[in-house]
Amino acid sequence: MREKIQQIKDTKAFQSLITSVIALVISLLLGAVIISLSGYSPVESYKAILGFSLGTKNGIALSLSQATPIMFTGLAVAIAYKVKMINTGAEGQLYVGAIAAAVAGAYITFLPRAVHIPAAMLCGFMAGGLAALFVAFLKVRFGAGEVITSLMLNQVLILFTSYLANGPLKPDGSSLPQTEMVQETARLTRLIPKTQLTTALLVAVITAFILHFILTRTAYGYEMKATGLNVDAAKTAGIHVSGIYLRTFFISGAIAGLCGASMALGTNHRFVEGFSVNYGFAGISVAALAAYNPLGVILSAFLFGVLKAGSITLNRTTAVPMEFVDVIQVLVVILVAAPTLIRTLTRPFSVLAKGGK
Amino acid sequence: MTLIRMSGITKRYPGTVALDRVDFHLKEGEIVSLLGENGAGKTTLMKVLYGMTIPEEGDVFYKEEKVRMRKPTDAIEMGICMVHQHFMLVPAFTVTENIVVGSEPHKGIFLDLEQSKKEVGELIKKFGFHISPDTEVEKLSVGEQQRVEILKALYRKADVIILDEPTAVLTPTEVDELFEILRTLKKEGKSIILITHKLKETIAIADRVVILRDGKLIKDNVDPAQASVESLSEMMVGRHVDLSVRRPAKEIGEVCLHVKDLCVTEDGQDKLKQINLDVHRGEILGIAGIEGNGQTQLIEALTGLRKPQRMTLDLDGTAVSGSADVFLKRKIAHIPEDRLKLGLVKELSIRDNLILGYHREPDFCNKYSLLKRSYIRQYTKKLKERFLVKAPSVETAISSLSGGNQQKVVIARAFSRDPDALIIAHPTRGVDIGAMEYIHQQMTRLRDSGKAILLISADLDEVRVLSDRILVLYEGEIVRESMPGELNEVQLGLLMTGAKSALEKGV
Amino acid sequence: MGNISNLAYIVLVSTLRMSVPLILAATGGAFSIRCGVSDLGCEGMMIAGAFFGMLGSYITGNPWLGLVSAMLFGAVFSMIHAVMHVTYRVNATISGMCVNLLGTAITPLLLQVIWGIRGKSVQVAAFSALNLEWMKKIPVIGRMMAAQNIIFYLTIVLVVLGWMFLFKTTAGLRMRMVSENPQAASTVGINVTGYKYFGVMMSGVFCGLGGAYLSLGQMNMFIDGMTSGRGYIAVVINAFGRFNPLGALAGSIFFGFFDSLQTVFQGSVIPTQWMMMLPYILTLAVISVGLRKSRSPAGVGKHHD
Repeated sequence: MREKIQQIKDTKAFQSLITSVIALVISLLLGAVIISLSGYSPVESYKAILGFSLGTKNGIALSLSQATPIMFTGLAVAIAYKVKMINTGAEGQLYVGAIAAAVAGAYITFLPRAVHIPAAMLCGFMAGGLAALFVAFLKVRFGAGEVITSLMLNQVLILFTSYLANGPLKPDGSSLPQTEMVQETARLTRLIPKTQLTTALLVAVITAFILHFILTRTAYGYEMKATGLNVDAAKTAGIHVSGIYLRTFFISGAIAGLCGASMALGTNHRFVEGFSVNYGFAGISVAALAAYNPLGVILSAFLFGVLKAGSITLNRTTAVPMEFVDVIQVLVVILVAAPTLIRTLTRPFSVLAKGGK
Repeated sequence: MTLIRMSGITKRYPGTVALDRVDFHLKEGEIVSLLGENGAGKTTLMKVLYGMTIPEEGDVFYKEEKVRMRKPTDAIEMGICMVHQHFMLVPAFTVTENIVVGSEPHKGIFLDLEQSKKEVGELIKKFGFHISPDTEVEKLSVGEQQRVEILKALYRKADVIILDEPTAVLTPTEVDELFEILRTLKKEGKSIILITHKLKETIAIADRVVILRDGKLIKDNVDPAQASVESLSEMMVGRHVDLSVRRPAKEIGEVCLHVKDLCVTEDGQDKLKQINLDVHRGEILGIAGIEGNGQTQLIEALTGLRKPQRMTLDLDGTAVSGSADVFLKRKIAHIPEDRLKLGLVKELSIRDNLILGYHREPDFCNKYSLLKRSYIRQYTKKLKERFLVKAPSVETAISSLSGGNQQKVVIARAFSRDPDALIIAHPTRGVDIGAMEYIHQQMTRLRDSGKAILLISADLDEVRVLSDRILVLYEGEIVRESMPGELNEVQLGLLMTGAKSALEKGV
Repeated sequence: MGNISNLAYIVLVSTLRMSVPLILAATGGAFSIRCGVSDLGCEGMMIAGAFFGMLGSYITGNPWLGLVSAMLFGAVFSMIHAVMHVTYRVNATISGMCVNLLGTAITPLLLQVIWGIRGKSVQVAAFSALNLEWMKKIPVIGRMMAAQNIIFYLTIVLVVLGWMFLFKTTAGLRMRMVSENPQAASTVGINVTGYKYFGVMMSGVFCGLGGAYLSLGQMNMFIDGMTSGRGYIAVVINAFGRFNPLGALAGSIFFGFFDSLQTVFQGSVIPTQWMMMLPYILTLAVISVGLRKSRSPAGVGKHHD
């Protein structure tokens, strides 16, 4: 029995799980430090967060609805990282996804719901995918690193959608930078009435399972893993790595596009300028905490959703600013990226633990 | 005078003892050859002397005084310099910059380039090295680069120069030039330690031979004049090894792989010029040549990894063209020249690596692209046993395996798919002697089952032992074909350096 | 005729002003690459510089001390990158992005915590254009030169000093060797880790200074997200300029020109968003077409053991 436990302990999967858990705990502790340095009580704050987010019906709904967009972007970042590409462009991809879905939702009037929703979501999917495909093309054809090109494209796409929402797509007589409302037939159903929680959550979870299936059971997933871990060996083995980069990054961008689409069709029922609260970058934290594992993203997105929902209430009841959750998110990424750093930080604790025996 | 004395040096790494109470000494003005197999501990011992590794136990004495070397600068200050196997040079810097960096002549914080050039120029002249101080190192030949490395040691006024596998990348002629330099240095009063596993060269140049095996000192006073290649290798390996037994082909059949007019141009240079070769079934065709003469381009063209400018390639009479996966499907297998870089994904398991390249074949993958996981598990388990891969299970990651076992995985993968032709490059590089024997056996067995094998190796001994026919590749051209026994090692070496005319003159 | 020369004048003045933060950040990037570490963290270090520069000026009332504070905190942020990548061997792209994410997340938090406001800070003491009479009298370029603030001239000096350090001193030679072949450098006794930390720290100082120019030179306050991707543009300029401060200078002026067009054309027929897009589109174009030619030092991202 002890041997079996030791065997499990030795697997990479278990070790990343431990790393992620410790990273989260340390980040929360550091968050507590930040809160108390700002003059507030960390204990009260965390109690308020958990109490609301997990204790009340509205809280749970808010947690889940906050988790949904970052689950999408987390999946986008995770799948791209499987081929060692870093998708920093999720923000721009979700913006074009949102506007594409909003347009399809608003201006098509003759479709029944069962067709309209998938069609509009598909528009968002394709828009995000094409944006990412452009970046991947630059990488494959010109060797341009995707990190900076995605970031530059982010700015271009966000400005472009802003132009559309302020100009051509703005409804007559409206003064706000947003598009027409989408048709009834394109609106996502709310899972819990009077909350922001929609069926988008189910779409996200299903997407996670589909990605997991692809990675573990298909030849394509095998090629993705090989390409990500050793691209030269993959090429020598006859794998068409350019195709893998293009297809995988397309999928990544498309999932980010779905994020925008679900916000436009579900939450806002239109495209609104600036609707994304850094969902794209939050996806990086979500993916990192999940060790870039699609199923792990479901859990990690939920955790961050809880924190995010809690921080919104926190701002109402205490004066702790909402932004501290963003800082905790970044701390998680830093700590997960440096497992040896975690070992250094936790050495005093493990020494204590051993000494205790 | 005993210049250096090391006593009781012990160095442990997690899981192994690299050095076990080793003693070593060096007298002034002598050339000592430190001989041993891969992993015997020779490089580790010298790293201790050079300050790059700190031993757990043992003392080092320099000029009879006990010294403690913590970093390379300590050793350099004392006059001990190392010329590394993989040159520690900056290709983009000039010869002068490479030599002086770290000990630069300076005016305040500014580099004194004039003074540097002057000092380096004087040194080059004194030892007759024939290189220009202003050339960028990337433009120099391998032999010239090695001279820059030696100059680094001489610039720092080294009394002891350690050379780590200096002849690994040199042609036979360049080796002779190097040995001339070493003899000159000896006359100047320098002492030299040569780390090597090349037996013939040891006998040629060393005054004394020290033999290490598995981290232990075996003998430290072998007289090369009395020794032979056989006696040295027995001491190195601990048993009688005969790698020089040729196993001639039983039956050479039809032409299997037919290559005509293969031309490859890269960066404006012709890397391969109209290569024609034929590999018959039941034959091992060996390509001898120094690295960098077109081997890589040849391998890439024949495995689909590169589209040549021109090529006609037939397998059993039918044309082959396309990308690497096409070649694999057409049963042209490939053992790549760098197994960790090109042949294996070290983070993945043996199981995953054993289907790499073949993962879309019908027995591993159904028509919906789903992997047949349980079949793969069974198949790879049997394969691991059949090819004697030493590892706890088929799920073990490649990174935990030794070089020899890693290479066995690559071989198992290619051989088990029943290829018609096999392109195999540097098969036993970095592989221990036991695995080397096994791999040679497997290759011979494959050949005898009627397959065509193209062997590319920089190890001339390996080429001569395994090949039924040898082609010498020099600057992208096949300069000569040699039947077994036709040309000896020196002659082949000359051809490898392009000295075709010298050969014809009967030098 | 007068209108065109007036317009040209405005554009040139604006170009020089817009290019300063890019010059500084790209030079910082050069220091980073020239010690073998990727310069991706420029954006985070810049925004840290912008914020803490403003904070320094706020606390002391003196913009010069604000600059000092910016350089200090730029260095602090750069140390995060250094510790993660050099000591803990994290992939430099990831550690650089962590610095960027941290800068973007922590600055609005601090705005909230210190002043309880969101979006932008209070106004602080800043630098203004020199407007020296003697300078204005210089023919042709006099008025342009006088319209710059002191940081512009400081930048020119720093670029020259930076270039001299990298290419004329022994320390510079050693640092460049670290960026080309860290293993070889360690065998001749060069302290590879030390030089990497130094190079990264200098990049933090320069990027911080570049960010401070935004909050203390171009404006007199900190605005959330005011760097708007300039740090990333600096990374591209650095590659474009052959990882060399002089190249950074030239490249930044080129980009600064496009950046300045948006201030000039504001409120005209072309919608602002399109003008704002120009620097980013230009960056994309440069990356796709131009970058192939510049070869970065061979040892970037490598460690010495």
